[in-house]
Amino acid sequence: MVTEPVPEFETQDLLINVGPQHPSTHGVFRMVMEIDGEVVKDVIPHIGYLHRGAEKLCENNDFRQGVGYMDRTEYLAAHNAELSYVMAVEALAELEVPARAQWIRMILCELNRLSSHFMFFGAFGVDVGVFGTPFVYAWRERETLIDLFEEISGDRMMYAYFRAGGLAWEVPPNFKERVREVLKSSRQGVKDFDGLLTENEIFIARTKNVGIISAEDAIEIGMSGPSLRASGVPLDIRKTEPYLFYDQVEFDVPLGENGDVFDRYYVRLQEMEQSMRIIEQCLDRLEDGPIMPERMPRMLRLPEGQEVYIRTEAPRGEYGVYLVSKGGNKPWRLKVRSACLSNLQALKQMSVGQYVADAIIILGSIDIVLSEVDR
Amino acid sequence: MTTDGTTPGGDQAEAVEAAPIDTLEDTIWAAVNRALTALDVRPERGAWDLIVHVPPADVIRALRKLKHDDELQFNYLRSLTGVDNEADGVDVVYHLYSISKNLNLTVKATLPPDDKVLETATTVWQAANWLERETAEMFGVRFNGHPDPRTLLMPEDMTDVFPLLKSHPFAEIELLQGELLGHERGAGDGE
Amino acid sequence: MSDGIFGIENTWLDAAIRIQLIVGLMTIVVMGLIYAERKILARFQQRLGPTRTGPAGLLQSLADALKLVGKEDLRPRNADPWTFELAPYLVFVPVFMSFVVVPFVVGWQVRIVELGLIYFVAVSSLSIIGWIMAGWGSDNRYAMIGGMRAAAQGISYELPLVLALISVAMVANSYDLNEIVAGQGRWPNVVWQPMVVVVFVIAGLAELNRTPFDIPVGESEVVGGPFVEYSGIRWSMFFLAEYAALFIMALIFAAVFLGGWAWPLGEEWGRWWQLALVSIKAGLFIFFVFWVRASVPRLRIDQLMSFSWKILLPLMLVQVLVNGAVLVYGGPLWILTIAGLVGIAVLVKLVGHAVSQPRPKVVVAASAEGEVAS
Repeated sequence: MVTEPVPEFETQDLLINVGPQHPSTHGVFRMVMEIDGEVVKDVIPHIGYLHRGAEKLCENNDFRQGVGYMDRTEYLAAHNAELSYVMAVEALAELEVPARAQWIRMILCELNRLSSHFMFFGAFGVDVGVFGTPFVYAWRERETLIDLFEEISGDRMMYAYFRAGGLAWEVPPNFKERVREVLKSSRQGVKDFDGLLTENEIFIARTKNVGIISAEDAIEIGMSGPSLRASGVPLDIRKTEPYLFYDQVEFDVPLGENGDVFDRYYVRLQEMEQSMRIIEQCLDRLEDGPIMPERMPRMLRLPEGQEVYIRTEAPRGEYGVYLVSKGGNKPWRLKVRSACLSNLQALKQMSVGQYVADAIIILGSIDIVLSEVDR
Repeated sequence: MTTDGTTPGGDQAEAVEAAPIDTLEDTIWAAVNRALTALDVRPERGAWDLIVHVPPADVIRALRKLKHDDELQFNYLRSLTGVDNEADGVDVVYHLYSISKNLNLTVKATLPPDDKVLETATTVWQAANWLERETAEMFGVRFNGHPDPRTLLMPEDMTDVFPLLKSHPFAEIELLQGELLGHERGAGDGE
Repeated sequence: MSDGIFGIENTWLDAAIRIQLIVGLMTIVVMGLIYAERKILARFQQRLGPTRTGPAGLLQSLADALKLVGKEDLRPRNADPWTFELAPYLVFVPVFMSFVVVPFVVGWQVRIVELGLIYFVAVSSLSIIGWIMAGWGSDNRYAMIGGMRAAAQGISYELPLVLALISVAMVANSYDLNEIVAGQGRWPNVVWQPMVVVVFVIAGLAELNRTPFDIPVGESEVVGGPFVEYSGIRWSMFFLAEYAALFIMALIFAAVFLGGWAWPLGEEWGRWWQLALVSIKAGLFIFFVFWVRASVPRLRIDQLMSFSWKILLPLMLVQVLVNGAVLVYGGPLWILTIAGLVGIAVLVKLVGHAVSQPRPKVVVAASAEGEVAS
């Protein structure tokens, strides 16, 4: 039996291409949005513009050299990235890291969380439309933090400071005073941002109830970090599976209620205050001591047939390193579990049905850094 | 070292003649074994988590059982990747996490090198979507039933090159990097 | 009417010379405004702004103008030539035309037009056509989106703006700007019409496409909006038109609401005092516009439209009614002041209520586990 085809109205939705060069996409990222007037019907992300093959390259470099590649996969939170990697190597080599090195690592990771969240505020403010002011405030705060990092490791952004077993070299003698100075100015910076954006009616009107993702969906998609906590899921690896000395310091884990853009912003703001609390406690507990174990082999060779999956709480989510070793001084397989890649999967679900301007804000609120998405 | 791995922090005294059988009492193996009763699984102690080897044909069923099990509730897929073991095939590795019970598990399925086909895990967790795309393009594994089998990081037309396989060579410069730092080309342990 | 400038009797020649002077003046003023904006914005953002070109960066605008003049004039291949090339003129010329009626000082204007306010409103709304032409003629989707947004916004905020000016005209009993200013010798119109001032400032920001209403030129989304395909002189004409419109809006604001050259003590103290008064008042408006740009996020197009149609327009209609009632029945004018203050309170309340009202959630329901998202 032949049925007649039903004639359909063919209206064409507009396909616009956002990126890869675009002021709002936080890196080389391309979205193809299908819009109907101002409403987004579909979002197709295209990634891979910044893929440099970090995982393959690590297979050819030994365990000391891999730190450099980890920096570059997450350049805004490099200390956290390095931490996952060196913890993986230490777990397999069964190295005992001295306490002083652990405390300093904790301080540096939390400071890096501060600078990464400042960057988020800057870029997010530009997305929402405040021309420049939060961006410049963010840069002012990051400058103080980055100056401190430069004094410690010699580099402003790609530190390569952590080593398997501890740290590369000792911190400068005025470390504690410098960190306290930086904390003071960061506290003021957080207050500035809070005052500029949080209670602003236009900001609230733009961000509340926009880009909502429910807790179940977020868990299903595999989101992590502040984006997941904004939906109300209390998953913070520093609390559930503590590493370094996170079980010995007191801090809260801020949660959001709705899972909208405003919650993702506000959770990060509160996280910064908690980070500063952690740093203060670490500074009080920091004592003198060695920073590398006494008997460090010159060339690290890991035992055969071992593998480990280390997960830490980076500013953007769960940054995991899966290390497989088959003997020798190079990894057999190094996989970087990227928080931003998993968070970015949720973009389509959050954006469909919203306006075009909202889609840009939603992308900004997930806080991706493309080098981690693409590695 | 035995292939069962070391015992982290364990105090088991090693017998002089033979290593004791690792009963894995301090892991979740008992619960996992009960959840996967009908399937042929083999445990292994990893450095941090328990590793469970499942035959490729049963992997998706196993994952679904682990997700729906009341005692385990592995509702969060942390990571999905592949490991190329050359002649031994390609391992597809799933890292699972249970948010409510705070448990971790690694599930491995070993695919033979000439038949790298597996069923998709997107029916179990949506998180597997992009992760499987990446594993497929890097290792040449085909996931049957995947809703969107395009390349993720590789160019769209590069569907026949699988960079993370060991047979895919390093570029000349990358080999030279190793040489300059004192490694002999091809030597795994040389100093 | 007025004497010919430089004593020239021929009205056509006199008008031509006046127009030339105006255009020259406007160009210099606009360049000064661009410099002022960059410096003021920079200070708000804890930066310095232009410092190198000339003393304290004063020649920066001149350098920019020279650079723009020297650029290649591009046109996309598929852009409609007439629409694309005529659009800048349609944006630029109406702004200068509206300059004809603005009073600086007693007698210093191009022509005294009896229907000055009506003329101003009519001419300034012509530039919306220019925006649409620029958007459509550019053969670029982003430009079209920007052009449509600009048209929607421009038309929506035209109404509160016109009603604001009409309310003031009712109180001043004339459409001639000169007479409106002269009638404010004792009290500026802001005293009688406080709410109208607020609405005028908001609608004026929207007409100028300035933050928080700059969604057509949303820099972080549709980078540049309708102007994205223009370069060189054509683009600088858009830019010039934007700042000239800002200047004119500031002058109208100073004239209509703050008393222009007449208050306080304008007629007694002579020409230079009058000029200073007008400059200060216009400067206040301009500074406020820059301040808002540095501080406030951008509204989305539907929020912007609903704000105009649902909040500003009804309030202005009520204001016009109240004005009419008081003026026809001969009531004292301070009733209008009280009504205006009440109106401002109502406006603030409505905005607060609208913002705190949660929008209907657009949530894709949690899909059943195991189902593949399509």
